[in-house]
Amino acid sequence: MQVHPNRWGGELVRFENVGLRYGAAPETLTDISFSILPQSFQFLTGASGSGKTTILRLILQSLKATRGMISIFGQDTAQLDKDGLTALRRRMGIVFQDFRLLDHLTIYENVALPFKIRGRMESSYRAEVIELLKWIGLGDLIDAKPPVLSGGEKQRTSIARALVSQPELLLADEPTGNLDPVLAGRLLRLFAELNRSGTAILIATHDISLMDQIKGSRRLVLHNHHLQAEG
Amino acid sequence: MASSFDFHNQRSRLQSFLTRFSTDSLVAPDPLTDRTLVAVIFILTFIAALTAGLVLFGSAASARWQALLSSEVTVQIRPQPGRAIETDLNRAADLMKQVQGVTKVRIYSYEETMRMLEPWLGQSTSLGGLSIPRLIAVEIDPDAPPDIPAIGRQLAREIPGTAIDDHRTWTRRLATLGNTLVIASAAGLILIMTATALAIVFATRGAMVGNREIVEVFYFMGADDRYIARVFQRHFFRLGLRGGILGACLALAFLALFRFVVAGSDGLRDMFGFGIIDPLSSVGLAIVIAILAVALFVSMLASVVSRMTVHSTLNRLV
Ligand SMILES: Nc1ncnc2c1ncn2[C@@H]1O[C@H](COP(=O)(O)OP(=O)(O)OP(=O)(O)O)[C@@H](O)[C@H]1O
Ligand SMILES: [Mg+2]
Repeated sequence: MQVHPNRWGGELVRFENVGLRYGAAPETLTDISFSILPQSFQFLTGASGSGKTTILRLILQSLKATRGMISIFGQDTAQLDKDGLTALRRRMGIVFQDFRLLDHLTIYENVALPFKIRGRMESSYRAEVIELLKWIGLGDLIDAKPPVLSGGEKQRTSIARALVSQPELLLADEPTGNLDPVLAGRLLRLFAELNRSGTAILIATHDISLMDQIKGSRRLVLHNHHLQAEG
Repeated sequence: MASSFDFHNQRSRLQSFLTRFSTDSLVAPDPLTDRTLVAVIFILTFIAALTAGLVLFGSAASARWQALLSSEVTVQIRPQPGRAIETDLNRAADLMKQVQGVTKVRIYSYEETMRMLEPWLGQSTSLGGLSIPRLIAVEIDPDAPPDIPAIGRQLAREIPGTAIDDHRTWTRRLATLGNTLVIASAAGLILIMTATALAIVFATRGAMVGNREIVEVFYFMGADDRYIARVFQRHFFRLGLRGGILGACLALAFLALFRFVVAGSDGLRDMFGFGIIDPLSSVGLAIVIAILAVALFVSMLASVVSRMTVHSTLNRLV
């Protein structure tokens, strides 16, 4: 894997006093401030319902902050137009907690989707996609479709889809929730390798043992609507 | 591994076009809706293709009839008491021969005239010697026609009981009929195409709602509006093409059937002229091309309308 030329020297993500409320409910997130540096590795943790997925959605811009400032790749997201948003998303990879695979496409087609959307010729990425699928143990399921897969297989497919384009920033929401510890460890090493090649990684999880496996990683802990950074 | 995968992909692509609904489309196939849309497009294409064929056929037939009618006039002489009708006939024929623009003059003999009247009078020998009006067929040059009414007046002065019929009323009526047919069919075509476009707007909206999750994933993977519009456009172009091809095939089958019927009947063949329905003649070829063009146009309409619908819907959503 090649190292990304870092187009933006500063933080990849920067939250300043961000608040978010869903509808009329009290704020789910209050005064959230943190940043993600290039090539960094961090875990986002907290109890169920504490707002981990919500933070990832704010970074992905599928949700607008109620207040505060969010900048992604050095761009203030308040001033982002549609094309700018598309450009940002092409620099990220995301693993959804609920996978969000396209049921009518094969595993191969699902994983190749980021390349296809970027308009690349199939011959330029096919070997790469198949190699990745084999590496994460899906080599025999290339032509299968998501509805027939086990939870763990779906999860690995969605991880492969997020990794395959070697994004500058990888967001993963509970990426090992459906995996046995051995497979979880294997995938975590894949994340670590990607990180060494230049990708900044943010993994939302409450699996403590997972966090202990990556030395030197940072922990962002959500508690009581607030965020504290540890380590 | 790689080569067997490729093979599978190519084959399934062909299969999906011919039989099943596309598997490699990024829009999730919804067999019921897709098939319904294909059926609607199929029916509308069939009607549109038939209408287009009818326009061409109708205008060619009316042109043929007009040409036939205007290249011939008929002189009629009613028997007058105290006059020898054969002498009058020969005189009128001689006069007509001298007129500029007349190419051929032929007197229908008594027997021929009786044969023409047979359907009305019956085959009866007792009618022998009956005085009946007699006819002279006069062929004229349609490019330089003589002044028929003036000649008619002159003839009537010289030979009492003479009248000349240039079928002018019929030619005019035919022309009006032909034009009306063309205008009505064109209006019909516009309505059919509007209905097709509306059906596609509905189907695209439905597909976008049904594929909302997919559209969202596309956005997250870095697709822009143009890409998403292209995905839907491709999907509906295929459905449109499928419906269009089916509709065109049925229309061509109809054309073949019509040709078969006309070719088998002397009366119809004389009426329409075989050249009109022969697929190798210029009109026949034009009809076949028109039918195929309608099918192609419908599928392009499907793709353009779906793209416009996606853009307007996305702009309203986001
Ligand atoms: N679309 C929504 N509308 C209203 N409330 C929502 C919405 N999405 C999330 N919430 C609420 O916001 C809070 C945070 O949700 P979030 O999904 O971010 O939690 P989480 O930390 O990811 O939890 P988990 O570990 O269970 O995935 C929850 O109380 C949830 O009910
Ligand atoms: Mg969550």
